[in-house]
Amino acid sequence: MKLEVVGKSVIRVDGLAKITGKAIYPQDLFMDDMVFGKTLRSKKPHAHVKIDISKAKTIPGVIKILTYKDVPNNHHGVLLKDHEVLCSKKVRAIGDPLAFVIAVTEKIAKRAIEAIEVTYEEIKGVFDPFEAMKEDAPKVHDGSNIIYHYKLRKGDVEAAFEKCHAVVEGEYKTSMVDHAFLQPEAGLAYKDGDSIVVCVATQYPHFDQLEIAEALIMPLEKIKVINTAVGGAFGGREDITMQIHLALAAMLTGKPVKTIYSREESFEAHSKRHPMTMYYKTGANSEGKLMAMKAKIIGDTGAYASWAINVLRKAGVHATGPYEIPNVKIDSYAVYTNNPFAGAMRGFGAAQVPIGHEQQMDMLAEKLAIDPITFRLINCFTVGSKTATGQVLEESIPLQNCIEAVAEAMNFSKKTEGAV
Amino acid sequence: MKKRGIGFASVFYGTGYGNGFPDISNAIAELGMDGKITIYVGATEVGQGAKTILSQIAAEVFSMSVEEIIFVCEDTSITPDAGTAAASRQTYNTGNAIKIAAENLREEMIDVAIERLGLNSRVGLAVKNGRIFLKTFPEKGISFEEIALLVGDQHLRRTGSFTAQTTQMDEDTGEGAPYWPYTFSVYGIEVEVDTSIGTIEVIRSVCAQDTGRTINPKLVEGQIDGGFAMGLGYAIYEDLNLQKGKIKHNRFTNYLIPTAEDMPEVEKIFIENPESTGPYGAKGIGEPVTLAVAPAILNAIYDAVGIRIKEIPVTPDKLLIALKEKEMEV
Amino acid sequence: MKVIQLKVNGGVYKVDIEEDMRLLDVLRDKLRLTGTKEGCGEGECGACTVIMDGVSVNACMVMAFQAEGKEIITIEGIQRKDELHPIQRAFLEEGAVQCGFCTPGMILSAKALLDRNPSPSRKEIREGISGNLCRCTGYNQIITSVEKASQYLRREEEEK
Repeated sequence: MKLEVVGKSVIRVDGLAKITGKAIYPQDLFMDDMVFGKTLRSKKPHAHVKIDISKAKTIPGVIKILTYKDVPNNHHGVLLKDHEVLCSKKVRAIGDPLAFVIAVTEKIAKRAIEAIEVTYEEIKGVFDPFEAMKEDAPKVHDGSNIIYHYKLRKGDVEAAFEKCHAVVEGEYKTSMVDHAFLQPEAGLAYKDGDSIVVCVATQYPHFDQLEIAEALIMPLEKIKVINTAVGGAFGGREDITMQIHLALAAMLTGKPVKTIYSREESFEAHSKRHPMTMYYKTGANSEGKLMAMKAKIIGDTGAYASWAINVLRKAGVHATGPYEIPNVKIDSYAVYTNNPFAGAMRGFGAAQVPIGHEQQMDMLAEKLAIDPITFRLINCFTVGSKTATGQVLEESIPLQNCIEAVAEAMNFSKKTEGAV
Repeated sequence: MKKRGIGFASVFYGTGYGNGFPDISNAIAELGMDGKITIYVGATEVGQGAKTILSQIAAEVFSMSVEEIIFVCEDTSITPDAGTAAASRQTYNTGNAIKIAAENLREEMIDVAIERLGLNSRVGLAVKNGRIFLKTFPEKGISFEEIALLVGDQHLRRTGSFTAQTTQMDEDTGEGAPYWPYTFSVYGIEVEVDTSIGTIEVIRSVCAQDTGRTINPKLVEGQIDGGFAMGLGYAIYEDLNLQKGKIKHNRFTNYLIPTAEDMPEVEKIFIENPESTGPYGAKGIGEPVTLAVAPAILNAIYDAVGIRIKEIPVTPDKLLIALKEKEMEV
Repeated sequence: MKVIQLKVNGGVYKVDIEEDMRLLDVLRDKLRLTGTKEGCGEGECGACTVIMDGVSVNACMVMAFQAEGKEIITIEGIQRKDELHPIQRAFLEEGAVQCGFCTPGMILSAKALLDRNPSPSRKEIREGISGNLCRCTGYNQIITSVEKASQYLRREEEEK
């Protein structure tokens, strides 16, 4: 097939607006009669909480202060509805939203935030997922802190390890990191007749629309989401941040309401990449064929589930790396703690496991005295391979070509002579 | 002392929501009165290039330039749901939906053309540069504008929907076909470790990226560079430094991400091996491009100084401690 | 409240300012020149880079009163009539733009660099834009764009 447009480096269609400064991000929106919103966030990681807005609301220029009492349906979340739009009785992480102040200027809104009296009755928190997995650990939500366990069982790993010529083990840890997109969250919402329009930068406007409609108990078609230019996302704009606050504020005040997060607030407000602890045991036979792998992966999802179930599932499925292994046992767990919540971030569970499986590969290669390229080529997926889940890779599996291309470009000479 | 080492890493990445969850993208293609094609779709441009890539797919269906495609994705009230801009799924899933919508519209336009031109069949017709015509006698043809005029207020408008195929895995064994397609990525990285101060510099790096088919080479290169930077940050800089649930590194003064001076040049090799279920054979690459960077750096550090760092990020203090421990062992 | 006068993109403006206002607020909120972005508010990310009296500055670190009488160039002011500035053109052609939020600041840093060093090496370009963070592009296509822009600009000089 001769292609005319596909395969060409066509100039980015949104480029012109961006290089001229004309692209509109939500912070760039202004409307007549616009007022400002500001979020009060928890300073404690785990506490029963009471807030008193009586003083704050008397500050001249304060239009309204939203608390949980104002939210028709105070739950949201991409998988489990475990976030509250505004916390009612309990905070589970530093940064949990408690109130949303609407005032004529941003400055007044900030002053009102400081004037809200918050009484925290602290509860013992849990910050280590291993502690959180214990039965007597403080519970972040009702029920167990372990919200997901993925199991992969293929063959008999223990028997296979017995027969392996070389076995390596390791425990790997990744840190909690942030998307750090350059555009801090911002948004503007206004009423249009009996509809609410919310202008934000989001990865999934139709899901935001649904979550706003559910929280406000409004028909879906009465909520319109305008997705402005988006200043980077990387997974960090999957979960709701201010969308429902703004929609509710616009609905209850009848005014256009804008909010902009500072960089610090952005760090507190959106999800993170799950830090994972990964135990790996991998074994190969004397020809350098991988025979068995065992992995146990613990992912800290912080105070809310967000995408944890799917992330730890993806981590589990990808834990073998792109290699054929006849015997595999994988367990991955998603665990609540009182840390900031983790969710989607570029890689989505498949970013963490290569820290483990690729170092295991090199360690095994060294033990077998095979160079790392050859060792990967011996074991890599190819057309017809079966993954550990039993999926047949029936087409477009050019991993071998990728490995060879890199080895060649790096002028890497294979040192197979030492191989047993 | 400065020591150099080389490391490799290879990864795979399964596209989409996965595990049998309905992964659906919807799109609408419409012929405008000016003969341009408008695509309505709820797929977000987050910077990854979705608008451009998806416009190219639509343009390809009509063999016309991207300038003739109007791409509307910003308003939920006029765009159909195309799922999230995540899981490296927009090129594959929404690309397919747009291709289907555009092809449906094209066929409809051909119907109008056949009737207008008094032809007996669709055989031998070409669609190119805003015209539908008989290949053997190009004068026998009709422009998109004329077609739009003919149908008038009815507006030719067709939808397209694509649902990816995955299965739910068995709860006890994990068996199943949880994702499709899989994208592959391999990095080779050379680092230089300064053993006196514990810093790591990337000297050279090569990425071989499976793209299925590359829709836009420059955009893929941009994804690789950006993915490299994010992987580099993950490997040696980034940590929120949590203390009792408090993010201590919550500003760019202490949460360090790579700057232009930290980034090496990255040699890029596209491996094209079209995926039959992808639009023109394309697969998603947004996430795959970043995954092998950090492990390749870790393997390179080992090659350079003989130390396996199992906890990232490999900050200078961590590396110095490890170097000292190794020295004591010897 | 105080009134300051400053020149922005060739136009002279008198602006009411509050004492704690930054140049960034004047540009964005008062003059509605929203091409200048705020990414961190503390001079770390460079998204708010503008050129003040020929020198690139972070508009979030300049108090409004400090801009009194100064000449400011923002992204809205670098175009030449209907034509893109060569740096803009190069950014577009070489794929230097992804999400676009760092782009205006990046272009102004590139301009400040090329104004003082018309043919920088790639290393010098890296140094020159090291105060501008970008999370999307990994910088390499930006570096290439600045190289290309320097060629465009030199060619223009030669043609004069």
